Amino acid sequence: VRCQHCPPLGALQTSAVLRRVSNEHKKEPLTSSSQQQFSSHPAGHQPEQDPQGPHPSYTGQGGQESEDYESEEQLQHRILTAALEFVPEHGWTAEAIAEGAKTLGLSVAAAGMFHSDGSELILHFVSECNTKLSELLAQEQKLVQLGEAEKKPTDEFLRDAVEARLRMLIPYIEKWPQALSVLLLPRNIPSSLNLLTSMIDDIWHYAGDQSTDFNWYTRRAVLTGIYNTTELVMLQDSSPDFEDTWRFLENRVADAMNMSNTASQVQSTGEAVVQGLMGAAVTVSNAGISEQN
Amino acid sequence: MAAARLCRCRCRALLSRPPGAPRALRGLAAGPEMHFGFQTVTEAERREKIYQVFESVAKKYDVMNDSMTLGIHRLWKDILIHKMNPCPGTLLLDVAGGTGDIAFRFINYVRSVRERQLQRKLKHHQNLSWQEIFESYQEDKFNSLGDSQVVVCDINREMLKVGKQKAQHLGYSEGLSWVLGNAEELPFDDDKFDVYTIAFGIRNVTRIDLALQEAYRVLKPGGRFLCLEFSHVSNPLLSRLYDLYSFQVIPVLGEVIAGDWKSYQYLVESIRRFPPQEELKEMIEDAGFFKVNYENLNFGIVAIHSGFKL
Repeated sequence: VRCQHCPPLGALQTSAVLRRVSNEHKKEPLTSSSQQQFSSHPAGHQPEQDPQGPHPSYTGQGGQESEDYESEEQLQHRILTAALEFVPEHGWTAEAIAEGAKTLGLSVAAAGMFHSDGSELILHFVSECNTKLSELLAQEQKLVQLGEAEKKPTDEFLRDAVEARLRMLIPYIEKWPQALSVLLLPRNIPSSLNLLTSMIDDIWHYAGDQSTDFNWYTRRAVLTGIYNTTELVMLQDSSPDFEDTWRFLENRVADAMNMSNTASQVQSTGEAVVQGLMGAAVTVSNAGISEQN
Repeated sequence: MAAARLCRCRCRALLSRPPGAPRALRGLAAGPEMHFGFQTVTEAERREKIYQVFESVAKKYDVMNDSMTLGIHRLWKDILIHKMNPCPGTLLLDVAGGTGDIAFRFINYVRSVRERQLQRKLKHHQNLSWQEIFESYQEDKFNSLGDSQVVVCDINREMLKVGKQKAQHLGYSEGLSWVLGNAEELPFDDDKFDVYTIAFGIRNVTRIDLALQEAYRVLKPGGRFLCLEFSHVSNPLLSRLYDLYSFQVIPVLGEVIAGDWKSYQYLVESIRRFPPQEELKEMIEDAGFFKVNYENLNFGIVAIHSGFKL
């Protein structure tokens, strides 16, 4: 009923939206019902007509992108991924997002879809890094299961996992203090904390942690402390290939291993972790402020 | 006398807006009958009348804006530009931009962003040779706007004239152009502009759906549609105060300052006839925009609608 007065071109325009190259087998004359679906439930929307399955490919033959309808979320993902390459130059800002949108052939105004302080860009980056880490760990585990690699002792496993994850920050290390300070904004704390805890959880899971008692919390608290402090050391490390950082990491993990099996350690761990986090917050906000200046 | 007038307007408002009225009454021409304030006119008559309204108010437009809204309209326009957050290189089309308020603010904003950009660039260039320093001064001197441009389009010649005079007076020359055009039929090619704004103008467009479709057409993929307009106050107490102010004070101000009671009576009535926030949002979505949302300013007295052409 709503579209009775709209010229048929309007419906086609809307139906042909959100795609870069149309496939021949795509259903061309969309009814207004799908148009309504697109417009009334934009957030978290999966592509409707997608014969290729839930993961349409974004690059096809000869540089052309062959995808069916993508949702707004997917388009936003693409823009943010494209924006990452401009971060070393522009920082984690709306400018980087605008440049990213430009490379995709969109107007720079598309950056208006995101918050002007770059929060979404940073959260996107962190979640991508976590995903990459999970894939890495899963691959390693598969090799061990196939018998092609030796199972590492826990301290070495943790060291390698944290090192691999922190190495992903190296291309952006100059602007990372700014990112950390944005992640500590009250608005972003739920999401950033969520990402952090799920990453730590992942690492312990692949390290073979099967505990169901209080150790579960202890282990995660300890590793979170190690990760955060190592990250901060890395921000101020100027040694070649961050050797100092990895050595610091080694020492912390060794300390943690020696800390097990005493009840009082639980309490001191908690205290240490809290102190570590408070110190981290102060350092980061100072770094963030000095970065802004 | 004024009270009786107020009651009469109120009654007509109640009669002319039955609950669940189809949108045909608002912006689409279901027939030749349209609204002009609280009167009913044909489409052609409406266009003519609105043209005359703005022709007569053009010279005192800015003064009246300041006195009616107690200067708050400046804040609303500032908020609009802040929300837009344009970066240098943006092409803006300001429709119904008459006296150029949005255009001038856009230029100021882009200029300051550009300055900050240049400062940051200089900070990073610490060890340049004299040749490089010389070159950087050459290119940046003529690029204070970073290639940003704004096109002000208005259907009314008088409003454009006032705008051009203001620009000259305030010293805006770069990156500004003035075009006579109808929002329902823009004289521009497809996929041209990064941002399309219409501030306090869409209320006066006769066929809002056509204007929205034109906006969609001229925007680049990824481009943004922004609409700043008077909207509906849902809070009942505020709504009564607002009505009181609108119908009692504004036309009187119009008569005293601009010598034109009827135009300002039209203004206030047209605000009441305009679709509320949710309905306008649906109309924008119908035109094909995505991620459409709105932000109420001052409890709904004014609302900013935003949509993207994706």
